[in-house]
Amino acid sequence: MDRFAETCERVAARSSRLRKVAILAAYFQQLSDTDLETAVRFLCCGPVAGLPLSEHLFGKQEARTFAVGRAVLRDAALSVTGLEPDLYRMCNSEVGDSGETIALLVRGLSSGESLSLADAQRFYLRLYHTRLTADRVRLLAEALRAYRPATLKYLLKVITGGMRIGLQEKMVEEAVAAATGASLDEVRSANNRLGNLAAVALAARQNRLHTIEARLFHPMQFMLAKPLDDVADLEQPSAFWIEDKYDGIRSQVHVENGKAVIYGRGMDEMTGAFPELAGAFARVSGSVVLDGEVLAWRDGRALAFTVLQQRIARKSVSRDLIDSIPVSFVAYDILLRNGEMVLDRPIEERRALLVDAIEPLPNAVRVSAQYEAASAEEVDRLFEDARIRGNEGLLLKRRGSGYEQGRRSGAWLKMKRPYATLDVVITAAEQGNGKRATMLSDYTFGVRSGDRFVNVGKAYSGLTDVEIRELTRILRGATVERFGRVALVRPEIVLEVAFDGIQKSARHKAGFALRFPRIVRWRKDKRPEESDDLDRVRTLYESSLNLTAARERE
Amino acid sequence: MQVDFRPHGIHLPEIDLWLDCTEVCGTNWISHGHSDHARGLHGRVFSTDETAEIYRMRVPDAAAALNTEPLPSEWNGARLTWHAASHILGAAQILVEYQGERLVYTGDIKLRAPICGHETEVVECDRLIVESTFGLPIYRFLGREEARERIIQCAREALADKLSPVYIGYPLGRGQEIAHVLCEAGIPTAVHGSIARFIPLYERGGYAFPGWVPYSQGNIAGRALVVTPEFRNFLEASGKAIRLIYVSGWAGLDNARARTGAEELIPYSDHADFDELLTLVERSKARRVDVVHGYTEVFAQILRDRGLDARPALAATSGGTMESNEG
Repeated sequence: MDRFAETCERVAARSSRLRKVAILAAYFQQLSDTDLETAVRFLCCGPVAGLPLSEHLFGKQEARTFAVGRAVLRDAALSVTGLEPDLYRMCNSEVGDSGETIALLVRGLSSGESLSLADAQRFYLRLYHTRLTADRVRLLAEALRAYRPATLKYLLKVITGGMRIGLQEKMVEEAVAAATGASLDEVRSANNRLGNLAAVALAARQNRLHTIEARLFHPMQFMLAKPLDDVADLEQPSAFWIEDKYDGIRSQVHVENGKAVIYGRGMDEMTGAFPELAGAFARVSGSVVLDGEVLAWRDGRALAFTVLQQRIARKSVSRDLIDSIPVSFVAYDILLRNGEMVLDRPIEERRALLVDAIEPLPNAVRVSAQYEAASAEEVDRLFEDARIRGNEGLLLKRRGSGYEQGRRSGAWLKMKRPYATLDVVITAAEQGNGKRATMLSDYTFGVRSGDRFVNVGKAYSGLTDVEIRELTRILRGATVERFGRVALVRPEIVLEVAFDGIQKSARHKAGFALRFPRIVRWRKDKRPEESDDLDRVRTLYESSLNLTAARERE
Repeated sequence: MQVDFRPHGIHLPEIDLWLDCTEVCGTNWISHGHSDHARGLHGRVFSTDETAEIYRMRVPDAAAALNTEPLPSEWNGARLTWHAASHILGAAQILVEYQGERLVYTGDIKLRAPICGHETEVVECDRLIVESTFGLPIYRFLGREEARERIIQCAREALADKLSPVYIGYPLGRGQEIAHVLCEAGIPTAVHGSIARFIPLYERGGYAFPGWVPYSQGNIAGRALVVTPEFRNFLEASGKAIRLIYVSGWAGLDNARARTGAEELIPYSDHADFDELLTLVERSKARRVDVVHGYTEVFAQILRDRGLDARPALAATSGGTMESNEG
């Protein structure tokens, strides 16, 4: 664990993705098989892997939560340092990470014992099996007195679930490949099948990645579509199958033996919000992983996303809500059938498997209609039809193509018209990752409301590196306060953003949030007071509701 | 002794002496040359010789006025003496003895010896006015030898990676210390003009800068650069092959990476860390402590918990940022 912590520190101290991966790979190479598995599991905790900690530490079977909250950590730290709670709180707010704060505060108080990865693992297990909070505090306090502060920092970060060393799971995959000599594609694909990079790392080390079988009930990577701005850019329309692009929630459904789980793009589970779909899927024979979209659905057509939104973010829904906002699942691809991954089969074969799997199911689950076009004009006509059907646009899928997980290769193309654009003002900026790690590249923006600005969204892409550099310089100068990676800035920069819709949002001060905002251009010609205001956002939101209502009346 | 704390300085009305007043005033003691202390025109300025020189360089009108002078030993019935402070070259504390009471104002200070500058002479007193820039127990810094090693090691690693190590230093103090360490280690070093202008002063103080060159654009490959924080943004935006290294008390926290964009963090400061502050207060034997800068409320509370009569002297700031504090 000492070496693990040193390695994390070195990874944190390099912004280049390549260097981070190289440091990690060199470390992995020196580890025994067991230590390799443990180290990867620790690294992929929390945000890195996007999976609950309990799964990583203790395997899927033990679903009890590893409920060591920040209060338990704090109490352990207070008992060791003798600090007042207020002072601890102040320290923690300056540092912004419990693990780091505690490691800083126990300097000079711990006896500096070394800690192996195996001992760390045993420590977590003891903590996990200790049910009483007071006992957990005692156990943690013992550790704080025993181990090196530099090691404690990461021992605790594994518990709180975020390393904050600028490492993504993709990079750990690269390091595993580099350290074991396995190809990156093999590692990625095995991780997709299994959803457990620690086990994949061990298999890669032992040269048996090919033996890893697909495991259900962990979200796998989605295939992504490249935007097609102009149908004239399409060389050969007849080379594609064409489907409507739906304005719903992209989802992945895993079914086996009557159990169905629905995952969203954020890899979160949302089965509870759609019990009628889960019930329908449960009738699938054999096992299947489907790709498709959850839609609010009435009278044979999709309703606007704003309608569907009322059903998301609920752990469970009432009968009334199920009746008033019925949903449907439009399936458009299949990743696994009866225990076998079918990604590499051509789209036509997958479609046949999909139809076969879904046909027996009730109406709530349907297969996305497929069209063909011989010319750009026909594509345009299909696009208009899709819009009339209330859908966003079109998805074009290349004939003969495989399912390319996590890629935006151009085998899938998406056509949609932007909703509208708004001129918004940057209110906060966050450091990017990878080659943008030294720049402020992620922007939270707001619209005018009286003499203030209220946030309506956040966007990452759309500007050139040169523009981001220039903006970084200006935003650093305009910074009024910092919270970790985020800088609050004076509202001075106007951006034009395109987006796919407006939804109500309790999280945003404005009460509204833009869906999929992206930066169209930096409006250097506009002053903040010339930006759009909250009334315009409200008007756009209401007109989208009216549109939905009008469609319903048709 | 009456002490008035004002937003722009500390006033001792009975002897009509200001301490680090940043607005125009009659007679002012300037503890050291940083611009948040040595600024503005005053009737008379008392300081150490080195601080006077820095003040005249930074405030050209003061040179014309020729208003700087050594600290007089007697002033309006008080006895005045200065005592070295570890901070930047020329930094000093002032001891005011008046009607049997001993008052010390530290200015910015640390306890351990700096890379360049004098070592703090702890002065026993009844009342201590002390700063608390880093008055939280999360702050603990490297000593000068460890800092020296890390500064050199980071430069060598960056150069081996074919990157120019860029040190973010403040124009006065840290910048010269870093340049001095790099030059002494034989690492080719370019120094930005606003830092380089004080090099002759440091050379006269006995610190060598063998082989340094002034920074000029396009002149960075294979060299270490010592630049000011503002200049860092320019270099970063230029997309050059650089590695940013941040040497500061604020570099003790990982979030300094996000604040500065630096990869390497070296927690070394010209301010006291938390333990040094406590030791300084303890060794001064003061019963009354006024805390004037940084985490004033919290640090005063910590001292009260230790049985001292300690008070935050000015409205507490929220800890401070890199821009407002030369940490």
